[in-house]
Amino acid sequence: MTRGDKLLIAAVLLCAFLGLLTIYRHFVISSDQRFPAQATITVEGKVLCTIDLDPAAGQELMQIAGRLGPATVEVADGKIRMREANCPEQICVKQSWIASPGSTIVCLPGEIIIHVDGPAPVDAVTR
Amino acid sequence: MFSTRRLVYLSLLLAMATALHLLEGLFPIPLPLPGVKLGLANIITLLALYLYDLRAGLTVAIARVFLGSLLGGTFLAPGFFLALTGAVISTLFMALLIKKTSCFSPVGISLAGAVGHNLGQLLMASLLLQNQAIFYYLPFLLLSSIPTGLVTGTLLQGLLTRLKEAGVFAELTRN
Repeated sequence: MTRGDKLLIAAVLLCAFLGLLTIYRHFVISSDQRFPAQATITVEGKVLCTIDLDPAAGQELMQIAGRLGPATVEVADGKIRMREANCPEQICVKQSWIASPGSTIVCLPGEIIIHVDGPAPVDAVTR
Repeated sequence: MFSTRRLVYLSLLLAMATALHLLEGLFPIPLPLPGVKLGLANIITLLALYLYDLRAGLTVAIARVFLGSLLGGTFLAPGFFLALTGAVISTLFMALLIKKTSCFSPVGISLAGAVGHNLGQLLMASLLLQNQAIFYYLPFLLLSSIPTGLVTGTLLQGLLTRLKEAGVFAELTRN
């Protein structure tokens, strides 16, 4: 092997690592920037508001008026839940926190839907 | 410049390259990287470049891909186009380095050929898929081209030494 060969190997290695670095920055860092996710609250078929689920932001309580009266939505640590609602079965409250895109809390009697936006992550891929 | 000797030797080289091409298709490298292979057939292309010229190298490379894919059953499949552009660009790279530089041994030339093959493959893949995102695969192919280029280059170096010792080299190139 000559000196030129070794230089060539070094150059190819350098190119490969620069490429890997670019990919790393492009994908890993931009996937971080996709946060915070957003949640959409729909009441009686109409979009009431969209909330950022920012993990850095503190706790926030929201009063919303559902079909059966007031309900309280709580946002904290990038998660969202129905804290209180005056529906008979309290299914929405018992579901507790949701955070991943695609997950949904539905209060049928109150006609309130809380949906975390974005494509639902896949569980697994088979080939 | 036509000579029967050249024709016969090129045919022999082509037959060997086709055999290596097929052999390699039968035994894929057990790596989780699709498209990575040793490139044994490239040894013969490079040998044709060393013995003769660019025209001989291109002839062997292109005819090898055609024959190999016909025999292997991948003719005109996506893999055929990838192999064809890869082989042509790799041959051009190697011929350029042999002609224009003197600081590379067969190992370096072979490495450059491996890199050229990867570039050609991805170029054709991006054309076929209508998608440039395939170039994100390039760093992985480049990394893999270092060991494969070194292996084929070392094999070629041994081959060249033996051919010279046996006097075949002079015999081959005599017109």
